[in-house]
Amino acid sequence: MSRSWWGKFLFLALMVILSLGYIYPTISNLDPEKSKFPFKQKMNLGLDLQGGLYLVLGVDFDKVYRDVVERQSSSLKDRLKEKGITVSDVKPLREGVPADDPRITVNFNAAQRQDFYQILKKEYWTLRLAGESPGHFELGLSHDYRNEVREKTLNQSIEVIRNRIDEFGVSEPSIVSQGTDRVVVELPGVKEIDRAKDLIGRTAKLEFKMVDDQSMTSAQLSTLITEIEKDQKLSFKEGQKFSDYVRKLNELARSKIPENHEIAFERSRVGSGSEGVRIPYLLHSKVDVTGDDLQDATVQLDPENRNPNVSFTLNPRGAAQFERLTGENIGHRLAIVLDNLIHSAPVIQSRIGGGRGQITLGRGDSESMMKEAKDLAIVLRAGALPAQLEFLEQRVVGPSLGQDSIHKGAMASLIGSLVVFIFVAIYYQVSGLIAVFSLLLNVLFVLASLVGLEATLTLPGIAGIALTVGIAVDSNVVIYERIREELRLGKRPSGAVEAGFQKAFRTILDANVTNAFAAIVLLLYGTGPIKGFAVTLLIGIVTTVFTAVFVCRLIFDLYLKRLEDRGAQTLSI
Amino acid sequence: MLELIRPGIQIDFVGKRRIWMGLSVVAILGTFLLLLTKGLNYGIDFTGGAEVQLHVPEKWDIGKLRDELEKGGMKGLKVQQIGLPVASQYLIKAQGEEKSLNLVAKQVEGILGKSLKTTEFEIQRVDVVGPAAGSSLRMSGFLSMFYALVCILIYVTIRFDYRYSPGAVVALFHDTMLTLGIFILTQKQFDLQILAALLALIGYSNNDTIIVYDRVRETIHQHPELSIEKAVNRAINETLGRTLLTSLSTFITVFALWLLGGKVIEDFAFTLMVGILVGTYSSIFIASSMVIIIAHYHENQTKKLKSKPSKKKRVVRPEPKFQ
Repeated sequence: MSRSWWGKFLFLALMVILSLGYIYPTISNLDPEKSKFPFKQKMNLGLDLQGGLYLVLGVDFDKVYRDVVERQSSSLKDRLKEKGITVSDVKPLREGVPADDPRITVNFNAAQRQDFYQILKKEYWTLRLAGESPGHFELGLSHDYRNEVREKTLNQSIEVIRNRIDEFGVSEPSIVSQGTDRVVVELPGVKEIDRAKDLIGRTAKLEFKMVDDQSMTSAQLSTLITEIEKDQKLSFKEGQKFSDYVRKLNELARSKIPENHEIAFERSRVGSGSEGVRIPYLLHSKVDVTGDDLQDATVQLDPENRNPNVSFTLNPRGAAQFERLTGENIGHRLAIVLDNLIHSAPVIQSRIGGGRGQITLGRGDSESMMKEAKDLAIVLRAGALPAQLEFLEQRVVGPSLGQDSIHKGAMASLIGSLVVFIFVAIYYQVSGLIAVFSLLLNVLFVLASLVGLEATLTLPGIAGIALTVGIAVDSNVVIYERIREELRLGKRPSGAVEAGFQKAFRTILDANVTNAFAAIVLLLYGTGPIKGFAVTLLIGIVTTVFTAVFVCRLIFDLYLKRLEDRGAQTLSI
Repeated sequence: MLELIRPGIQIDFVGKRRIWMGLSVVAILGTFLLLLTKGLNYGIDFTGGAEVQLHVPEKWDIGKLRDELEKGGMKGLKVQQIGLPVASQYLIKAQGEEKSLNLVAKQVEGILGKSLKTTEFEIQRVDVVGPAAGSSLRMSGFLSMFYALVCILIYVTIRFDYRYSPGAVVALFHDTMLTLGIFILTQKQFDLQILAALLALIGYSNNDTIIVYDRVRETIHQHPELSIEKAVNRAINETLGRTLLTSLSTFITVFALWLLGGKVIEDFAFTLMVGILVGTYSSIFIASSMVIIIAHYHENQTKKLKSKPSKKKRVVRPEPKFQ
């Protein structure tokens, strides 16, 4: 054989060895810890094939209602003022009412009851009158509005979780609502349970709040906190939710700090102990810019200490607000608050345009910090959850197809392929055997690519492989029928093979490129199952063209050479 | 040499193209009518439903449980094992609304009660679940199909000729619709698996069509003296062997899946089987006929254009004055 043939053969042999290496861990169920085998990655199977993590999350609607009531109350206050109704007090009421039905209490001039009532009826369908005494209304959320808020919150939560998981790289997750206040998430093959939970459950609410250094010095604030802790026997214990502690503290401190202010903490990197020191800040409660106006978030390395941090860009609206806010508060400190925890509070040196900023991370080794930074960037990009989520259940589930169906399906595919192979071998004889060989290599390459690309194999993916085999058989048929045509025209075997491959090549390329276009579009715009199908189809298209045109031809050249050596004039096709 | 189709065969495919086209148009209209009247029987992936968690004796495996429930008349089930095998706990997802939750639980209880004592099994929880493929996902699914069609249209226009592209897209549309029509007729459950099967069909049918087109293009090139009908018919005949051979071999694989694959992939394989038949039919009879129809239309247009400008030319001739 010629040198170029041997070159090609060597290339093919390398490809085959590499592919076998890739699928070996999956086939032999390799234990990655013990084995010294260079490849360790196994085939990812979808939830329908292998089962996975099953999480049930509860949405904290009480908090959502509280927030809604707060907003409604401030809107009502402004509106009543506009309409000239004298009110002495409009404020959310939390004590003494059901937790899931917070109220607004309003004291007003009893003579104006009728006017007030008209405004309520006409403009505030969102509120209902829950209690009344002369000169006093108690308002709750209306039934319709509650339902609307509930539904919207649930749908938004599902959307955000889906975005996060998509970015995290779990393919074919299933995220559905359960009942009226829960979300069920199924993650195929996820092993890092804690990381997944952190990614899903994190609220990721990014806010920018101004630090108030004038009303209280930090020493005064610290003393206040120590006093409250001592008087009310409040302390933060390991294993407790820090957010609960902060909420309690704020409730107890409400009368001791200025109105519309709150206490928040910064995790400090200096200091001893696993948690480091927590520095308290007094913040204005008013939020000027939020993560809703975030455009992008990426991981970057700090040029000074090489620590990863997350830098973000705000959209034009957010950037304009940010610029205004920084312009008005030069010399003051701006707190970057993520999930009610201050990440940094730099002093504003000048008006900041462009809407760029950074979030510094906690402590840890560089690898875990990198992971944290990556996950944080993901959750920031995917947006904040509209409500706090609580993990109610977590379980490992079996495949939705069932082990029995998978076995049967695999068996059936095997038998089907075998029948096709026999059929092709009988129909095209020696050339048929060549085709069978290239088909086998095709399947091997597809499987190896799936492992190599860390794609997930699901039932739609298997459909993609089945389609690949179908189209691959077709490519061989197209080539062989062409060769037969050329032979009928009276060409010698070598000439017929040459012309057959050449003419068939264009056909095969056109058919596959068109298909590839469809697959790419499905990959870009499709979600979940559609994506899974598109990935295997796309891989299959590449390997099909490669095996049909390159591999098949290579073996044919060998076959032709042997025919020539024996002086035979007929091609077995 | 084994030959499925005798070389040099000349079957008149395009001569009766009006009949084939008519048949297909009727079939597509029929599908639309079915979609409007009967509608797709959406599975739990699309509609959401009830989730029942239960415990059965360990001797029952997942297959047995599914069989019993299906025998008892529950359709479109998803059965999943949860926890360790020894716990013998299962999640069953079935269609049902919030109001009919108790009905679903009762049905499960009734079916299991026939072969088990009440102490042997336990329904631990019943709940409503939302659809895995909610409206947004469904929308993106259909949109992605639409974009795929547009891209194919553009590519075929560039690579072949604008005369070919409508045919390729019509053939794809035709195949999807007809398969869907048969799906509605059989009232099988339409779930995510079936969506995947339909996607696979688009790929298959597209491949089939392009290969016939490629030959049409080549024949027109080599024999410019042939009329478009003759050229197309010749191309179809020349590729007939490969068309049937490919369809046959793919059909064999899918048939094996249908026959031996078990209940869960039965419908998936069924869809592919129907699709392969329809796809083969469309690439022989529909896609190529579209080329002829468009070529004729194009001819008529050019004739009209040729006759019109000649009149105009006489009027708008004063150009040379500028020279």
